[in-house]
Amino acid sequence: MVTLEEISKNYYLGSTVVNAVSDISITVNDGEFMALVGPSGSGKSTLLNIIGCIEKPTSGRITLDGTDVTDVPTDRLADIRARRIGYIFQTFNLLPVLTVSENVEYPLHLQGVDKAERRRRVEKVLHEVGLERFSTHKPAELSGGQRQRVAIARALVGSPSMILADEPTANLDHKTGMDILTKMKELNQRLGITFIFSTHDQKIMSIADRIVELRDGRLSNN
Amino acid sequence: MFLRLALRNVFRNRVRSLITLAAIAFGSTSLIIAGGFIEDTFIQLRESYIHSFLGHLQIYKKGFYEKGGARPFDYMMTDHEEITREIYSVEGVRQVTPRLEFSGLLSTGETTISFIGQGVDPEGERQISSFVQLDKGENLASGDKYHVILGKGLAHGIMADVGDPVILVANTMGGSINGLDVVVKGIFFTSSKAYDDRALRVPIKTAQRLLRTDEIQSLVVLLDDTAKTDLVKERLERIFEERGHDLEIIPWYEMADFYNKTVDLYKRQFFVLKLIIGIIVVLSIFNTMNMSVLERIGEVGTIMAIGTRRSGVVRLFLLEGIILGFFGGILGLVGGYVLASIISYIGIPMPPPPGATIYWTAAIRIVPGVFAFSFALALVTALFSSVYPAYKACRLEIAEALRHNV
Ligand SMILES: Nc1ncnc2c1ncn2[C@@H]1O[C@H](COP(=O)(O)OP(=O)(O)O)[C@@H](O)[C@H]1O
Ligand SMILES: [Mg+2]
Repeated sequence: MVTLEEISKNYYLGSTVVNAVSDISITVNDGEFMALVGPSGSGKSTLLNIIGCIEKPTSGRITLDGTDVTDVPTDRLADIRARRIGYIFQTFNLLPVLTVSENVEYPLHLQGVDKAERRRRVEKVLHEVGLERFSTHKPAELSGGQRQRVAIARALVGSPSMILADEPTANLDHKTGMDILTKMKELNQRLGITFIFSTHDQKIMSIADRIVELRDGRLSNN
Repeated sequence: MFLRLALRNVFRNRVRSLITLAAIAFGSTSLIIAGGFIEDTFIQLRESYIHSFLGHLQIYKKGFYEKGGARPFDYMMTDHEEITREIYSVEGVRQVTPRLEFSGLLSTGETTISFIGQGVDPEGERQISSFVQLDKGENLASGDKYHVILGKGLAHGIMADVGDPVILVANTMGGSINGLDVVVKGIFFTSSKAYDDRALRVPIKTAQRLLRTDEIQSLVVLLDDTAKTDLVKERLERIFEERGHDLEIIPWYEMADFYNKTVDLYKRQFFVLKLIIGIIVVLSIFNTMNMSVLERIGEVGTIMAIGTRRSGVVRLFLLEGIILGFFGGILGLVGGYVLASIISYIGIPMPPPPGATIYWTAAIRIVPGVFAFSFALALVTALFSSVYPAYKACRLEIAEALRHNV
């Protein structure tokens, strides 16, 4: 469960202040499949980064599974990200020098999982996304849809309680995007992992159980 | 995992990495060549001094080395035959030979000039005077009694040639004046022109006759290996103390002033060279590492977002630097070894050192210490120049860095 209380984030560009998100209070329950929608610049990425402990809010408090993480030091935050949260990016963000299975294995190294267990879990999640045949390929040899599946496997492998996806379909054609969302939804239903994703695609957002709309950094309905 | 990632990152941009490796390798190869050349110069210079007149150790009556210059006859050795036997009993001693130094006037009847003379045992001197080169005539031999060999400059000064009769005039030990007719048997030169201008050599028996004495001044000891100098010196000191001899032992390096100054100068120059090479390596790796951080801001953002700590990012970039240093260093060692062997095979013709007359051939020595140093330098400078890029990478704002992914 994630709880945001009166979260604001300001950016300072010289003397001007940009209110990327303002005064957001929201609770996301375990197992939700939630879409964050809104036009470009409305604050979706900023909010996802705050929920994902990548950025700290300017004011307000954030609680993850009952733990207040607002003022946690950098290294502890990194550990929380490594153990509890999975990330999927618009641009896939696989490491180009590593193979598919090495990319998927990476978070397990951060968690300190031993070798045999790492191999077992990498195999399992690659099977889950249907890419076991591509385990020794480099990301550059894969299509966009396949790369995003590798990213899903990487987000999934560490058994997080929550996976965040910032516009996961924006760099994919519509059909591939729907496949990716369907896969995420299936994992959400089967494994009970919370998913929060952002999109501005009407059809994509219709798969969500809950839609939260942002406008100029504020919640517009809920 | 970090190692694998670092290795692949290093070699993802082949051309740039190869250029960087070449710069590092060039650096350590030049160090090896320069260091090996300097070492060779040291050794050749050292051996030249030892074999031309110094020997490894010189043994005097205590006090001679400091005060003997003014009153040499106050510090003569009487029981030198017994001492010689004792010295020969020490392992590593190859040759012991007596010397008697004196000064006087050399005359042809028409011209008279002052000289510094050495009374030597022609047989014993053969290996300690290997750099006393005969220019004309012949060297002294063990049977010679009334013969002299003259330094080239001295011979020139009195216009004497081989076969000419000359007169040696000197103060005897008793204080009177004595003269001796001798024949010029040869003319020699050494690596010191200044010495050749004043020096002559006679058999030690001849010198003793001239000075009316049967004592000597010094015993020169030649060892089978220069590295044993200190060891043999200590042994001899112990023996002399046990036997109650009042002697002092001067090792070659205390006498070879020019050698010490040369070593000092070369070492300083070598230090500057090390510094320059270090800077070249630092700059080239720094540039590479800096560019690779700039190119990989998005990737750094990604690995930090999925939970890599800042220390992990630092480790990754330092590791990449070390890998560059390691492979560059290895390349440098191999390059240095091969190049050193080739150059040594061909040989470097060298002009005579200042004040000397002999041309010599330098080589590049394979010095393990220099190899270790240049490899360490490659590693350390590589590590050092990765510090700032690594720091920069780990300080990136994650959200900002993620925006570099396109
Ligand atoms: N690092 C930053 N510095 C300044 N302004 C920023 C920064 N990050 C985001 N913003 C601004 O905050 C607002 C919200 O941005 P963002 O969260 O990226 O929106 P979205 O993801 O919905 O497009 C935008 O006006 C954007 O320009
Ligand atoms: Mg965005």
